[in-house]
Amino acid sequence: MFNEKPVALLIKEIIIENERVKTFVIDGEMDFKPGQFTMCWIPGFDEKPFGLVSRKKSEFMITVAAVGTSTKALHMMEVSDMLGFRGPFGSAFILPVSGSIALIAGGYGMASLFNLAKEAREKGIDVHVFLGARNKDELLYLDWMKELGAVLHLATDDGSEGYKGFNVQVFEDWVKNEGGPRGGIFTKVYTVGPEIMEMKIASICWEKSIPFEVSLERYMKCGFGICGQCCVDPVGWRMCVEGPVINGEKLKQITEFSKYHRTASGKIEKYPWNKDK
Amino acid sequence: MSINLSVNLAGIKLKNPTILASGIMGISAASLKFCEENGAGAVTLKSIGHNERIGHNNPTVYVWENGIHNAVGLPNPGIDGSIDKMSEMLNVLSIPLIGSMFADTIDNFVMVAKKMAALNPAIIELNLSCPNTADDLGRMYASDVKMTHDVVSAVKKIVGNIPLFAKLTADVTDIVEIGKSAEAAGADGLTAINTVSGINIDIYQKRPILKNKVGGLSGPAIRPIGVRAVWNLYQAVKIPIIGTGGINTGEDAIEYIMAGASAVGIGSGVWYRGIDVFKKVTDEMKVFMEKNNYHSIEDMKGIAHV
Ligand SMILES: Cc1cc2nc3c(=O)[nH]c(=O)nc-3n(C[C@H](O)[C@H](O)[C@H](O)COP(=O)(O)OP(=O)(O)OC[C@H]3O[C@@H](n4cnc5c(N)ncnc54)[C@H](O)[C@@H]3O)c2cc1C
Ligand SMILES: Cc1cc2nc3c(=O)[nH]c(=O)nc-3n(C[C@H](O)[C@H](O)[C@H](O)COP(=O)(O)O)c2cc1C
Ligand code: FES
Repeated sequence: MFNEKPVALLIKEIIIENERVKTFVIDGEMDFKPGQFTMCWIPGFDEKPFGLVSRKKSEFMITVAAVGTSTKALHMMEVSDMLGFRGPFGSAFILPVSGSIALIAGGYGMASLFNLAKEAREKGIDVHVFLGARNKDELLYLDWMKELGAVLHLATDDGSEGYKGFNVQVFEDWVKNEGGPRGGIFTKVYTVGPEIMEMKIASICWEKSIPFEVSLERYMKCGFGICGQCCVDPVGWRMCVEGPVINGEKLKQITEFSKYHRTASGKIEKYPWNKDK
Repeated sequence: MSINLSVNLAGIKLKNPTILASGIMGISAASLKFCEENGAGAVTLKSIGHNERIGHNNPTVYVWENGIHNAVGLPNPGIDGSIDKMSEMLNVLSIPLIGSMFADTIDNFVMVAKKMAALNPAIIELNLSCPNTADDLGRMYASDVKMTHDVVSAVKKIVGNIPLFAKLTADVTDIVEIGKSAEAAGADGLTAINTVSGINIDIYQKRPILKNKVGGLSGPAIRPIGVRAVWNLYQAVKIPIIGTGGINTGEDAIEYIMAGASAVGIGSGVWYRGIDVFKKVTDEMKVFMEKNNYHSIEDMKGIAHV
């Protein structure tokens, strides 16, 4: 099913993941590929992009971190309330035929990666998940990932679960220990999360020549490639059509990656860690 | 037989008559270059105003059964925040750039036009017809003969040799009166049409879909409205017209040209046919011309006026 116009659907269930994150189970089908997103209309507020998740065909989910006005409004909604959905939009992750893959997720990034893990396991591909969060409660989808039979590598800022520190470090150590008991190389790597984390993963993969894909999030309005809001420099590709999933080779051409993005007015905003001119 | 697809638009040479319409892509040099690489003969930037605007909240754009519906609300960084961007566009593009602009008052139109003209784009287009900003920008200039005349003549005085186009709306009693008034005020060309005002209601949510409630319709639904507008204008003015509204195929473009358009604007077609819509439309025009023995766009211009 592809929705051009927003389709009104009921919230069937709300899962409280932690203080800041809720998963909304939606009563309806969305025929998407892993990595694609939906535009979710919160009536009276706004319409925003969210990664698509599904565990069975008759329903789909979005996992939402309350960060601003519309996501907070979404968190106020209740079971049986209605949301509008357009999509699915954007490019999708591509799995290797066989081998083992690593998924590196931060923040709500696991949402865009869950169905990739599911599909990979169904195809008999080994899945290693390097999941990072502030603390134990914020590690998303742990039970679901265990159910799939993924190998979990956890990291928390406060050390309440797994490694104390960043998941990027855990991943890097693993890749560097290639051949060792706690290490190995991957057929392909996928990462979704804060752009600074994605950048670090990209550098490791480029250095080690591991094929990888990232999901590059840019401010979205139309979601289907006409408003130009999500175009990246200097190639002009639309992150809602040619992206959000971009492979490591193409990523080299996107020079704004990890440097800046555009706000709702189209103005360039540098990332705080970018010290360039 | 050799076929010449190039056109001369108010003295500006285009390698083919397809022009990216304002507000589609058009947000950065990169996004316009992407359209050039996909075959556009010229590109128009997203309208720039006197100050920064973030536009309306979403939903701002979606596809409905017969077209696209939008009330983006003219988001843009403002002219001062756009100078570097426009210079970069002019640097990287090898096709003509049309600078689209809007403002609230005539003084602000003049201010923006002055700064834009200093950069020397191929054409300056006055967006006098955005249907989605009445709440803060007031009535569309192109809804009134006198307002159109006043703004065009004020801007014409300061843009020097840069051809000046006025973009019109079909949401008026008589578009011909408005077109004639723009011509009399010194416009070098017209763009017709902007989107057509409309509302779609989500009957389950019991509210209009667009956050702005009212928005502009574009795409196939409005093509006959645009063709009619170009048809009437062609009979009344001597200046060239960029025919815009619902052009998805080469046949659609030729329909506009036969009604009297000198070139064609394409916006929604970027969704219907993909980013390479410009190349597709141009190729399809060529096939039609070969089959029907036309050598140039000029051969077909206005010939439906039998
Ligand atoms: C492809 C894609 C997938 C995403 N998937 C998820 C997900 O699965 N779960 C999740 O919680 N969040 C996801 N997001 C981010 C989510 O869209 C924003 O958090 C949300 O729009 C914030 O809205 P707000 O009004 O609450 O916050 P605001 O205060 O408006 O903004 C907070 C932050 O969110 C970003 N943001 C705001 N509006 C947009 C927009 N229209 N498009 C992109 N970014 C925006 C801003 O850059 C800002 O940094 C995704 C974004 C993209 C582009
Ligand atoms: C999303 C969107 C944004 C637009 N923004 C502008 C704009 O900023 N300035 C303008 O003059 N026209 C704007 N338009 C109108 C188009 O330039 C064009 O006149 C109209 O869409 C009809 O052409 P089409 O059917 O090919 O889309 C916009 C149209 C769309 C769909
Ligand atoms: S969000 Fe409009 S082009 Fe991508």
